[in-house]
Amino acid sequence: MSEWTGVLKLDMENRQGRSVAKNVYFQGAFKVMRPIYHQKNTYPCYYMLNPGGGYLDGDKYQMNVRLEEKAKLTLTTQSSTKIYKTPHQQAYQESTFHLKRDSYLEYLPDALIAYKDARYFQKNNIYMEKGATLIYSDILTPGWSPEGEHFSYDMIRLKTKIYMEEELILYDHIKLQPDLQDMTGLGHMEGYTHLGSLIVIGEKTNDDLLDLLYEVIQKEDGDFEFGLSKLTVKGFTVRVLANYTQVIERIINACHRVISDKWYQKKPSYLRKY
Amino acid sequence: MNNTLSLFQLCDSTFPNGSFSQSFGLETYIQKDLVYDAESFLKWLKAYVNEQLAYADGLGVKLIYEALEEGDLEKVWEIDHLLKIQNLARESREGTQRMGESMLNIAEAIYGFEHLTSYRERIGEKKSFGHPAVVFTIAGYELQVDKETTILYYLYSTMIGLVQNAVRAIPLGQTTGQKIVYQFQKDLQRARDKIMNLDEADFGVVSPGLELGQMQHERVKIRIFSS
Repeated sequence: MSEWTGVLKLDMENRQGRSVAKNVYFQGAFKVMRPIYHQKNTYPCYYMLNPGGGYLDGDKYQMNVRLEEKAKLTLTTQSSTKIYKTPHQQAYQESTFHLKRDSYLEYLPDALIAYKDARYFQKNNIYMEKGATLIYSDILTPGWSPEGEHFSYDMIRLKTKIYMEEELILYDHIKLQPDLQDMTGLGHMEGYTHLGSLIVIGEKTNDDLLDLLYEVIQKEDGDFEFGLSKLTVKGFTVRVLANYTQVIERIINACHRVISDKWYQKKPSYLRKY
Repeated sequence: MNNTLSLFQLCDSTFPNGSFSQSFGLETYIQKDLVYDAESFLKWLKAYVNEQLAYADGLGVKLIYEALEEGDLEKVWEIDHLLKIQNLARESREGTQRMGESMLNIAEAIYGFEHLTSYRERIGEKKSFGHPAVVFTIAGYELQVDKETTILYYLYSTMIGLVQNAVRAIPLGQTTGQKIVYQFQKDLQRARDKIMNLDEADFGVVSPGLELGQMQHERVKIRIFSS
């Protein structure tokens, strides 16, 4: 569809124990680089990039990722996603993920940076089948503004829905609107500027893992607040408030390491960025 | 019988819905010394009502009421499900469910409305969650209390529970507590007006700080509330 600023389609399948792309398609201002199989992994890491350098007024992006049975994938970005001012129409992204039975997706994009007067709406719809595992993260950050205000963007809105075997199991709706909300006040961002989320759905989730994650996060350096809690299905969310992207990244990476170790007895790949 | 008074029975502070054991994260703020007097409590309460309750329970009441008007019970059960899964903090989610069940049992016994019986049966079969907003709205609709009033009373009932808990936990004087209840009336009316202008696309917006406080409550050291 030509109305999209950028379209990305990626279908992965498992071929004799190795995950490979069955179909890669991109158009407009959305691209993926050649996949990298880190540390002789059986599955690739795809890096997405935005050749335009950022999201502008009225831009619309569509991403469609499909993992067939037992396929695995790491998906990340090459750098942060920048949202510039949107005087007329918000920038919009629609991401759909299909995770078939026993597939595994790590979706760990870099931070989203919303600059002055930016409005951004992202819809994530994730459809999972039994046995599939999801590790999803996002980091929402305010961009630099000439006046030095902390929250100069107009709106960041993320609506995430996760389905398991067609039943909606998670509904997360974040809408930050600095002009309408008292961002620095009690109950909002608690004096912080950056918000990180980690959503994990996996059948091996248990209380011991949550206790361990709690301990590990607590030991991290830096000024931050966090919470973690179990979902109604096997899975959990972690939320982090901090003032630096790096602090949130470190915490998400630490959680990722614990999960990879406990569930797969392996170390996650270091997602080298170029 | 006076219908408005009948609905008001569910808001009464003596109504045993179990709200006395739920702080919805307020206790975390008290433990951190961020809420310590009437003024700081009011800040938390305003944020909670406007930035979480309005988009979840409050909008839920509106959507359920509208579904009942259309005779669309499936929609009512769908909102019940949404109210469950949008709540990512386990203790608040489970606490709400306990309150929902307590309210349902008594409401069914006093009013005998058919939809409340269906709701209880669905909960028994694990098809539904059990949320106070669903029970309250069915009661309000069946008692022919209008939508705006049902929303306002629901907000009031939640607020009353939280003020009472704040009086005990901070602690505040009883008169201070009552002054807050009186003063907060206009905030509730504003919240109701805001809810009337929301639609389903706005559902479930949550303020990060409030939610974090609710998640953190799971590991707060001294606790008198279960959420």
